[in-house]
Amino acid sequence: MLILDNVSLNRNEKYILKGINAAFEPGKVYSILGTNGAGKSSLAYLIMGINDYRPSSGKIVLDGEDITSLSVTERAKRGLTLLWQEPVRFQGLTVEQYLTLGGKIKVPADQIDSTLELVGLLPELYKSRMVDGLLSGGERKRVELASILLLKPKYAILDEPDSGIDIMSLSMIEEVVQYIVKNGGTVIVITHREEIAKISQEAYLLCSGSIFAHGLPSKIIEYYKNKCDGCSHANIPSLGEVKI
Amino acid sequence: MISTVDQKKEFEMLKKAYEKAGGDVSKFLDKRVASLIISGDKVIGLNGLQGVEIIPEKIENGVKAKILVSKNTLIQTPIHICTGYVEKKGLQRVIFEIEIGENSQVRFVAHCTFPWVEEFTHDALALVHVGKNSKMYYSDEHYHSNTGSITLNTTTRAIVEENGLFVNNFTLTKTRIGRLRLDASVQLGQNAVADLSAKVKASRSDQVLIREKLDLVGSHSSGMAKTTVVALDESKVRVVNEAYGIGSYSKGHIRCEEITKGEGVDVSTIPVLKVMNELAELTHEASIGRVNANQLQTLMAKGLSEEEATELIIKGLVG
Repeated sequence: MLILDNVSLNRNEKYILKGINAAFEPGKVYSILGTNGAGKSSLAYLIMGINDYRPSSGKIVLDGEDITSLSVTERAKRGLTLLWQEPVRFQGLTVEQYLTLGGKIKVPADQIDSTLELVGLLPELYKSRMVDGLLSGGERKRVELASILLLKPKYAILDEPDSGIDIMSLSMIEEVVQYIVKNGGTVIVITHREEIAKISQEAYLLCSGSIFAHGLPSKIIEYYKNKCDGCSHANIPSLGEVKI
Repeated sequence: MISTVDQKKEFEMLKKAYEKAGGDVSKFLDKRVASLIISGDKVIGLNGLQGVEIIPEKIENGVKAKILVSKNTLIQTPIHICTGYVEKKGLQRVIFEIEIGENSQVRFVAHCTFPWVEEFTHDALALVHVGKNSKMYYSDEHYHSNTGSITLNTTTRAIVEENGLFVNNFTLTKTRIGRLRLDASVQLGQNAVADLSAKVKASRSDQVLIREKLDLVGSHSSGMAKTTVVALDESKVRVVNEAYGIGSYSKGHIRCEEITKGEGVDVSTIPVLKVMNELAELTHEASIGRVNANQLQTLMAKGLSEEEATELIIKGLVG
C-alpha cells in the first residue's frame, strides 16, 4: 500500500500541498481531480520524489517502508513510476531504444510490438522512429504509456494521460489502466476528464493544495462538475475535508 | 588492387581499424563499389566504376585525389573512402577534389582511422562542386587512438549549383579527439539546399574548434548548419555557426547544442547571422549546459541512476 501521511510541500515559502492524507491499495484505480493549480501535478512529483519536490513535513510510506528520503531512482526501483503530463523529447533515441532504456530492460521483441499495439501505435512504423520533436504530442504520449506498461509498475501515477490524445482514444487509456491492474499494479490517475475518472474505484478532489473530498468517483465527479467550475473559494480547504 | 606485401599488411591493419570504426570492409573488396583506400602517403586500394573516376596523385606527406562523377549518373552504392595511418608519428595530408556532374546523385561514406598514432597531424581539404540538379551526401566518421595527441584539421569548401543538394555529416564520438579544427563552408546557388552537421564528443584535454558556414547566395536557397557537442572533463570547445542571407527568399538556420559534464569544461558558441537581402530569413538556436533535468528525471523515474540516464541521453545525442 502507498500511504501519504499528513504530507505538506512548501516551496519558496508558500504552501503548495498541505496536510495530505491518502492511501492507495494494491490492485485498485484511483483518480485525483482538481482545477488548474490545485496541486495535482505537484502531488505526483512529490510521490515520485522528483527534484525539489520533497515534503516539508509528513511522510510517504510504500509497502511498509518510509520512502520519504529516497531518491527518484530508488523509488522507481521499488515499483513506483510516473507518466508525465508533457513527456520530454529525446534526440537520437529510437522508440525501441527508449522503451528498453538503451537495453537496460530486457523485453522480448514481440512484447514491445504488442505493447505498442495496445497504445495504438503500429510497431513497424514506430519502433525505429526517434523520440524527438518529430513525434506529435499524442504520439509521444502513447510512447510514454507504452514505456510505463513495459516497466510493469506496482504503482503508476498517470498525470493527465488523456492530454494531447484524441477523444476517440480514451478507451485505449482505459485499456492501459486495466492492463496495469491486471498485472497487479495500482494506478493513480490525475485528470480533468469525467470519462477517465469513471475508470477509478475511488477519487480524491484536490483544492488549493489540500484534499477537499474523497469518495466514490461518481459523487466526486458530480461535485467537481457542479461546484468547482468557476469556483473562487480558494480558502475552503482550511475548513478541512468535507463529506460528499 | 594491392601490389606489395607491405601494402597487404597495411591493408589488413586498416581493414581492422575500419571495422572498429563501424565501416563495412566487404565493400573494399567488392568490384561493384567505388572505393579509395589511403594509408599514409600511399594509395593501397582503388576501384572506379562506370560514371565514377578516381584519379589519385602522390603529394608531399599525402595524397591528392580527384573524384569525378559524370553527369546523369546515379550511384546506387556509396563510394567508400578510407584514410588511415599505421605509423605512430607523422603528418598526413589529403586533398579531395570532388566534382559531381549535372543531374547526378552520389553518396560517400568516409572513415578516417588512426588507432595507433601517438604524435600525428592529419590535414584534410575537400573541394566540392555539386552540379545543377545533383545530390551529394558525404558522411565522414573518425576513429582515433585514445592518446589525445592527434591534431586534425579538416576543411571543406563546397559550391552547390542550382537545385543541387549537399549533405555533409562529420562524426567523432567514439574515441578521444585530441585537437580538432573543423571548418566547413558551402555556397548555395538558386534553389540549392545544404545540410551541414557535426557531432563530437570531447573528453579530458581535447580541444575543438568548429566553424560551419552557409552562404545563401541563390534565390530560394536554404541551408541548415547544426553542431552537437558533448564536452566532458576539462575539454575546451568553441563553435561558430554562420549564415549569410544573400539571395532573395533564401532561408538559413543554425543550431548548436552543447552538453557539458565536468568541472573543468570550457565551452562556447557564437552564432553569426547576416542578412544582406531584405527578403532573406535567418534563424538560430543554441543551448549550452548540463544534461536536461527533465530528461534525467524522466529516465530516473524508470529506474535508471543519474549516471545511467546521463549516459543514455549522451548516447542519443552523439551516438
